Amino acid sequence: MLQNELFNKVMQEFNTGYWELRGDPYREIWSDRFYEILGYSKKDIQSDLDFFLENLLHKEDVEVFRDNFLNYKNNQVNFKQHIKIRNHQGNYQLFRCATNNELPVNIKSEVSIVFFFEIKLEPDQTIKKDNFYYKETAQMTATGSWYVDFQKKESYWDFETYRILEYPDDYIPSLKDSANYYTEDCRQLAADCFFKCAMAGTPFNTEIKMMTSTKREFWARAIGKPMYNESKEIIGIRGVFQDIDDIKRKEIKLQKSVDIIAGQNSRLFNFAHIVSHNLRSHTSNLSLLVQLIEDIDEPKEKEELIKEVKTISSNLNTTIEHLNEIVTIQTNNKQERVSVKFKDALKLVVDGISHMINNSHALVDSDFSELKEIKYIPAYMESILLNLITNAIKYKHPDRDPIINIKTYIEGKKKYLKISDNGRGIDMRLFKDKIFGMYKTFHYNEDAVGIGLFLTKNQVESMDGTIKVESVVDEGTTFIIEF
Amino acid sequence: MGDKIGVACIIDDDSVYVNLVKRIIEAKQLCKNLLVFENGKNALNFFEAILTNMNQESIPDIIFLDLNMPVMDGWEFLAQFTRIKNRFGKIITLYIVSSSINPLDIKKAKSISTVTDYLIKPITITELESIFSMA
Repeated sequence: MLQNELFNKVMQEFNTGYWELRGDPYREIWSDRFYEILGYSKKDIQSDLDFFLENLLHKEDVEVFRDNFLNYKNNQVNFKQHIKIRNHQGNYQLFRCATNNELPVNIKSEVSIVFFFEIKLEPDQTIKKDNFYYKETAQMTATGSWYVDFQKKESYWDFETYRILEYPDDYIPSLKDSANYYTEDCRQLAADCFFKCAMAGTPFNTEIKMMTSTKREFWARAIGKPMYNESKEIIGIRGVFQDIDDIKRKEIKLQKSVDIIAGQNSRLFNFAHIVSHNLRSHTSNLSLLVQLIEDIDEPKEKEELIKEVKTISSNLNTTIEHLNEIVTIQTNNKQERVSVKFKDALKLVVDGISHMINNSHALVDSDFSELKEIKYIPAYMESILLNLITNAIKYKHPDRDPIINIKTYIEGKKKYLKISDNGRGIDMRLFKDKIFGMYKTFHYNEDAVGIGLFLTKNQVESMDGTIKVESVVDEGTTFIIEF
Repeated sequence: MGDKIGVACIIDDDSVYVNLVKRIIEAKQLCKNLLVFENGKNALNFFEAILTNMNQESIPDIIFLDLNMPVMDGWEFLAQFTRIKNRFGKIITLYIVSSSINPLDIKKAKSISTVTDYLIKPITITELESIFSMA
């Protein structure tokens, strides 16, 4: 098979010892080169993991290698590790151990392989240097290591974990306290990851919100994998935390921008439709009128038709004024928000339409005790109140005087404004989707234009809020704005 | 030309458009009687009233229906009208006449069997004449 030929070629070029991992029978095949490098012949040693761990591998490396190896074998988690192996003369040789992901990309092997690349060290280059690099790497990448020992029921942290989590050096980490290392909303995730890793040996690699001893929250990447003992039982979990707060916060910010842009885009699309539709109705009237003028011979009738142009042009003007108002909202939302007192905004509106309120015997009742003010564009607040109040009066119930209740409140972390009336109500079954549409009116009033609620919705949404409506015919209507 | 159309019906809230079509129909003498309703609700009330007094004379032969209207729009009228249309004892041809060029509207309209065709405003005088001569 070509695949195999390629593979064999690569193996030759690597000129290195390797193990082939077999599932059935469950054993490793050690390559000839592996024996050769270490100076052994096949008779000298027993080619299995237990013998290797016990007799050939340096004691310092045994535990980490065992975990790495079993994880690789059972969960296909690739690894790299420096190990020292005792050769035939009884000296230790340094190797870089690596797995399938070291293979060139176009070569795929069906079997799992562990390579042993020999590293020739200068005499004074010792492991101490490795330790220095490790420390340097940990600090530069803000990556702390940790380890939980199930048998001793103890947890260990390295210096960087202490630093990241802001605990004093004499603090003793423990599984019992581990909930404190994560924010409340992430504790379940942390518990799940640990439990699955401890019980089923499933490694984890996830983004999670952690908490320092000073309750500062930050985003971390948490990676963990199980550790095994000689009889291949899980005896602990080893892993790292990397502080990725900067990156994650940027990502979240970016996602927010994307959402905002998507929202704006959809409003723009909607607006394009409105423009197209609203202008078309006038231009098509104009075109029909021109046809009629051309078709008619009677000069007097012609003259009369020309007057119609005036009507169409005035309608067109009104439409364009409405469109202008909408465009203004889209550009205004960059205006600075200032503190707006509901009481003051309402007073301004009520004073402005006092004539309308008095004529209709309307009663405007307000309660702003729970939430007195909000950061908003004052003109919008006034426009929103004006539209909703005048609507309530315009569409009052024929049998009773209008009563309008305005209330602000806080629910959870959200702020709300509720305006309810006792008017004639809107048939929600028929008009649910159309209430906030442009030029949609639901009543027979002569002065119904169908622009007010459309503008209100646009203003609320341009300030990142939402508006909802509840209504029962003959009972009244309630608008709820979430800021 | 066959029998001239007796009664035509326009359901549209755009008074300018309605006036213009009215003038064309009068000038070209396209039908004897023209009914105008400014929204779907008024039109529906009229059709329901016919069902109770069965005044054959006033049943339209042809309807021109707008989509965007206050109170009851063209879609809602279509849904209500489709339920009762078979009880009039004659075929009523229905055209949607709208300035909406939204492909979704056009597709939706053509999927409703009550609708003979979807006309996009502006309609031309020639178009109107040929529709009246076909019906």
